[in-house]
Amino acid sequence: MNGIHDMGGMHGFGPIVREADEPVFHHEWEGKALALARIALAGGLFNLDEFRHVMERMPPVQYLSISYYERWLEGAIALLAEKGVISADEFTARLTALAEAGS
Amino acid sequence: MTADAHGDADVALRVRALESLLLEKGLVESPAIDEIIDLFENRLGPQNGARVVARAWSDPEFKARLLANATDAIVEMGYEAVQGEDMVVVENTPRVHNLVVCTLCSCFPWATLGLPPVWYKSAPYRSRAASDPRGVLLEFGTAVADEAEVRVWDSNAELRYMVLPERPAGTDAMGEDELLALVTRDSMIGVTRALAP
Amino acid sequence: MTRVITRKVVQGLYKRTGTARVDADIAASFKAGDGIRARNINPTGHTRLPRYIRGKQGQIAKDHGVFQFADSLAHGGGKQPQHLYSVRFTAQELWGAGAPARDSLYIDLWDDYLEPHDADA
Repeated sequence: MNGIHDMGGMHGFGPIVREADEPVFHHEWEGKALALARIALAGGLFNLDEFRHVMERMPPVQYLSISYYERWLEGAIALLAEKGVISADEFTARLTALAEAGS
Repeated sequence: MTADAHGDADVALRVRALESLLLEKGLVESPAIDEIIDLFENRLGPQNGARVVARAWSDPEFKARLLANATDAIVEMGYEAVQGEDMVVVENTPRVHNLVVCTLCSCFPWATLGLPPVWYKSAPYRSRAASDPRGVLLEFGTAVADEAEVRVWDSNAELRYMVLPERPAGTDAMGEDELLALVTRDSMIGVTRALAP
Repeated sequence: MTRVITRKVVQGLYKRTGTARVDADIAASFKAGDGIRARNINPTGHTRLPRYIRGKQGQIAKDHGVFQFADSLAHGGGKQPQHLYSVRFTAQELWGAGAPARDSLYIDLWDDYLEPHDADA
């Protein structure tokens, strides 16, 4: 698809921003998000090409405004719902329960 | 840190929700999650690629094997892992400077370089590395002579690319362990050269 | 297909088991040195043929062998194994006369993305 992910040759994104001594993960959740997505792939819940495509299908504004590991996370959540593994309602209910338990 | 604290707390909660549902459904066991995080934090990383480069600089026969069949040569060194299944190593010379990008996502040779830095995954790099590699190289402080060819490798399929940087001048007497310190992650992506001794 | 992922499974998986290479005897449509043109396709589904390559003329640099096809696997269409090539494009072909004359770009393209093209030179 001719999506926002197909960036080769585009202009206007500005200078390349680098970080000295960058850690592997900036937040604990990043490692966990990556692990969960890899596990879903390893478990055959979806394949790598389906996973790339679900991220490409994200609205362009969302794609550009969230980080790499958030794209992995949101991609996995969306794809698991499409595959019938974890429905959107089930996910929302769990999110609410965890938020209430933590507050 | 790029996102604010509130945003990260929300995202962290979404990760916990996904994790708890996968665990509850019996699709994953908790130690498997820790195993993957350990793999990426501690076992994969540019220290692996640097070993490959230092050996190639020191051992002409290994270098020939590496350039002819990178996958086998890298596995021979013990760096066999996900996103390193099919590897290609391209050699920088005075006449050719190679640069690796993934314009469509952020494909990267995890087996030898670990996870990519944020800049490699960013829109500025992905958009311009293909169309203006010399401009990108200058942003990294790397000037390539007009007479040389800049070769961009867009790793869009399932082969993963790594650059064999030029061995710096004045290192003839150095052994593999000393050379190792001159090989940076960025030099194996091709945005910089190896460090001078 | 679905299986429980344990620590042991993870340890076993982080080997070269995930290769996209397919061990199949399939004829190649092109060989190193052949001139090609990337097809001008605009699928609404998944493709690994970027816009900046479509319609451009290049040359086969190397035949990587037979690989599963991403465009198909993303949509439940099976592996559709076919040859994958490293294809060289000049910077000027991709970005116009203002690009440096010596520079080039290499990208991996499947048979289905390519059509023959005899270069003038």
